Amino acid sequence: MKKSRIAAIVAVAATAVLVLSGCAPQSEVVTGSSLSVAWNQPFYSYNVSTSYGNAAANANITYMTGSSFNFYNDVPELQLDTSFGTYEKISDEPLVVKYTLADTARWSDGEPVTAADLMLTWVAVGGSYNDTTFDPTEYTDPDTGALNGKQPKDVIYFDSGATPDDPTGLGLVTAVPEVSSDGKSVTLTYSKPYVDWELAFGVGLPAHVIGKKALGATSNADGAAAVLKAIQDKDVTALAAISNFWNTGYDFTEMPTDKDLLVANGPYVISDFVADQYITLTANKEYRGAHKPKVEEITVRFIPDPMAAVQALQNGEVQIISPQATADVADALKALPVTTLLSIEGSYEHIDLQFADGKSGTMSNPKLRQAFMMVIPRQEIVDKLIVPLNPEAQVRNSQLFLPGAAGYDDSVKNNGSSAYADVDIEGAKALIAESGVANPEVCMLFSSTNTRRANEFALIQQSGALAGFNVTDCSSPDWGGLLGTPGVYDAALFAWQNTSLGVTQSSPTFHSGGINNLNFYSNPEVDTLLDELDGTFDAAKQITLQQQIDKLVWSDYYGVTVFQFPAVTAFDQTKIANVTSAPLAPTFFWNFWEWAPVSK
Amino acid sequence: MTSFVLRRLLASLLIFLAATYIMYVLTAMSGDPLADLRTSTSPQKAQLIASRTALLHLDVPVYLRYFIWLGGVGKCFIGQCDLGVTIQNQPVSVLLGQAASSTLQLVTFASVAAIILGLLVGITTALRQYSSYDYGVTFVSFLFFSLPIFWVAVLLKQYLAIGVNDFLSAPDIPWWFIAVCAPLLGVFWMIVLPWRGRARLWTFLIALAASAAMLIYLKLSNWFTYPHIGIVGLLVTGAAIAFGVTAVSTGLRNRRALYASLIVVGVGCAIYFPFLYGFSFYLEPWSFALLAVGTLLACFFIGWFMGKPERLPVARTATIVGLLMGFIIIVDRMMYVWDDYAGSERVKGRPIATIGSQTPGLEGTMWVHMVDTFTHLLLPTIALILISFATYTRYSRASLLEVMNQDYIRTARAKGLTERTVVVRHGFRNALIPIATIVAFDIGGIIGGAVITERVFGWKGMGALFQYGLDNVDPNPVMAFFLVTGSLAILFNLFADIVYAGLDPRIRLS
Repeated sequence: MKKSRIAAIVAVAATAVLVLSGCAPQSEVVTGSSLSVAWNQPFYSYNVSTSYGNAAANANITYMTGSSFNFYNDVPELQLDTSFGTYEKISDEPLVVKYTLADTARWSDGEPVTAADLMLTWVAVGGSYNDTTFDPTEYTDPDTGALNGKQPKDVIYFDSGATPDDPTGLGLVTAVPEVSSDGKSVTLTYSKPYVDWELAFGVGLPAHVIGKKALGATSNADGAAAVLKAIQDKDVTALAAISNFWNTGYDFTEMPTDKDLLVANGPYVISDFVADQYITLTANKEYRGAHKPKVEEITVRFIPDPMAAVQALQNGEVQIISPQATADVADALKALPVTTLLSIEGSYEHIDLQFADGKSGTMSNPKLRQAFMMVIPRQEIVDKLIVPLNPEAQVRNSQLFLPGAAGYDDSVKNNGSSAYADVDIEGAKALIAESGVANPEVCMLFSSTNTRRANEFALIQQSGALAGFNVTDCSSPDWGGLLGTPGVYDAALFAWQNTSLGVTQSSPTFHSGGINNLNFYSNPEVDTLLDELDGTFDAAKQITLQQQIDKLVWSDYYGVTVFQFPAVTAFDQTKIANVTSAPLAPTFFWNFWEWAPVSK
Repeated sequence: MTSFVLRRLLASLLIFLAATYIMYVLTAMSGDPLADLRTSTSPQKAQLIASRTALLHLDVPVYLRYFIWLGGVGKCFIGQCDLGVTIQNQPVSVLLGQAASSTLQLVTFASVAAIILGLLVGITTALRQYSSYDYGVTFVSFLFFSLPIFWVAVLLKQYLAIGVNDFLSAPDIPWWFIAVCAPLLGVFWMIVLPWRGRARLWTFLIALAASAAMLIYLKLSNWFTYPHIGIVGLLVTGAAIAFGVTAVSTGLRNRRALYASLIVVGVGCAIYFPFLYGFSFYLEPWSFALLAVGTLLACFFIGWFMGKPERLPVARTATIVGLLMGFIIIVDRMMYVWDDYAGSERVKGRPIATIGSQTPGLEGTMWVHMVDTFTHLLLPTIALILISFATYTRYSRASLLEVMNQDYIRTARAKGLTERTVVVRHGFRNALIPIATIVAFDIGGIIGGAVITERVFGWKGMGALFQYGLDNVDPNPVMAFFLVTGSLAILFNLFADIVYAGLDPRIRLS
């Protein structure tokens, strides 16, 4: 009696909150409304968790056909989608997180999203069951190198890039997650703290479909149950079959004949796909979540050429484009009656100085590092090379923070980057004189096939010469392979691609011996702070630690950051409204459910 | 002949093998296939690099990696072609199939049109050497030849797609345009048509009047919203075709041929209405193909019955006339569906497309899809024709000029043959020999050579496959491209040699 009364009160309260907050989901599909969007690469895999399927061309589509517990908005900040599910951190030590699916979460074939789907993500992306002795090269078809379904029947190998030997992210959840009795919740226990846990987990492919395809289950319920059971019992034969199908079953480059593969849990489902031409998504009738779309049909057309995209926008063939930002594109868009959004991409250009093992050894000397940072004409590079593409472009002044993200502005004020805001030839001359090295040589490594970097190099070379630096050209078409090679170069000019705000991205770059630490930077204090950062869950504390690291890195004369890559998005405001750009993937797609057709 | 073909094939195969080795090594060494992963900040970076290394055998030195690829290709001989996978783990053989069909769709019509147009213009300029027509064509063809294709593409899109679409949204030809355009057309025809002296003035006046009448008709009938040829147009063009084709094919003095042609035109006009408003609605691609073949056979038999005692030339003439009549009727049928197409929800009043090969989500009859293909093929086809036009006109002009100065042409004239027989049978046929080489080469080349055209028009064909492979330092798609274009080059060279033997009795293959 008491229990049901409480339940009734909760239900009434919940309904009231929903109604009052105005987020009661209601269909707003404008019947027949359609929209075309351009993207530069064709879709090729519906499973974005495999090592090769993880590309923007696929992720944009699965972002629209899928639901997730959270997503990045345009600031960028992490936002929650509670209409799909919620998560709660139960303890820090050990890290325990409970994920609960909402009742509104369901697949496009009417099946509810269940714990089996979450468990499938765990087993596939975490890779804890992957056979560590399994060498994919040994077992695949030696002529294609592809895992084309011929792998042995009793080997579990999910090709998600995870390795149980050196786990990270979801791979740290080594124990089988606990599934609640109602089949709606899963509790993950991490074997060691992982601060980016919020980005680690979600629902990927439908377990009930995989159960039918890989295990031969006859009904949806059986399929999900079979997958769940196989995972919980570590049934090697079944999991081998599941991994086989998970790895390759979802790779298609045109409309698959088996429509079961298109089952999705997001606002849209794939309804048409013509190889190399376009992919069409139609509003998912079974979708009950908060991201109800307003456009009934979205077609993504594949247009690799930037100018072709601009002219297609002008000719009304597409309504939203986001071509590679070039001066031609900027000029062409200026002349069109469309709305152009200028923004930044996650990638940023930077110059690393080799603390050790440089070609000439110049950069091992902190005075010369400081002097060189003083002569790098960062503002001039941005003004000459980036402003023509994006008039609002600015110099990036932080090694750790993405411009616009929380903590960036404060960090820039204190991290000492202001000392390098303007070129200081006299200061650099004085430092070179102090160092006692006459005419120090700096050989710069960059991509010889990249015109923009060649231009940047020329500007740095001129400026360096004024202060007495002999800046030489170590560029190579194979520059990527040369990064981190001892004795080859003194400074490297390239870009890091950031795809999230995860704080664990910093360790590989700045920690001694990190995989991305290619300039042999080593500061015990930074190492300690990074270790602390990798174990800190509090967001405010994370920012403080990152700011401390940022400051130390700048004061060690690590190198300089130059600019965030410019991005341009343009749309026809007479056809579509509410389009905004965002720096992190899925860029302008981030709020697709808010896109609204404009009626004439 | 067999031993010649075999010897040629064997030699070509060895050269081709060496070429693939060089191509493979060059592509594999052109950059770093891991470049994008090296600058990644993903926590799985090391594993992703290891995974791609395994996928593409990057741990095997390039010099030996080639043989892994060759082994896969070698399996073609046992029916299990294996062209490897791309960086994105897609089987190249599947991509190659998609790319080849897309490219063939793109270049087939363009090649045929460029060859016919090039030969036609080349021959007429040769026959009227050093006339203002000749100079004009020389100027124009060199102009086209020197234009970069990406720029032409941008211009075509701007004016022929965006501009025309803007025009079509409210189609009206202003009077001043007619006043300017009609005299220009008059001058154009005066230059193109061969008459001299006083006849030239008449040419100008008649062309001027006809052009003006035509433009006024287009304006008043709202032609650009409801385009049509109509029964009158069909009758006029049909008659012109009958006379024109007969004149070139057999000469107008062959009355049987002329009458057969005119009968074909009459039959075409008779089935025009039943076709347009009747059974064309029920046609599917297969029944359409059947109908086309049936029509050509019928025309052939009309010629055959009319043509005794010399049946074949008459039958041939009637068939060509039938082909052209059918073409015009089909065009008219496509025009009939035009306003439906242009005004549809999918096309939204902007029919001429700048990218892709079809309008997404468009549903309708065969005719709607034909119009859709036409609007998408229009710009890339024009761009491709412009490139090859210059070569074909120049070569056919030079070739025919040389032949026409030969002794046997003088002999032919001296023995009293008509000018038509001299030009068509003695001149043209011999002029074709060098052109056969060019055409064979070009067809091999154009399939692989439309890289830029494909890219700017958003077609993912062989060129895109090649470019994608190069951009990602991924040899497998590049090699697939190379296999196809390389073997086509070899095959078409061989064809050219065999065609020589057919065209020129002095050449024997041994």
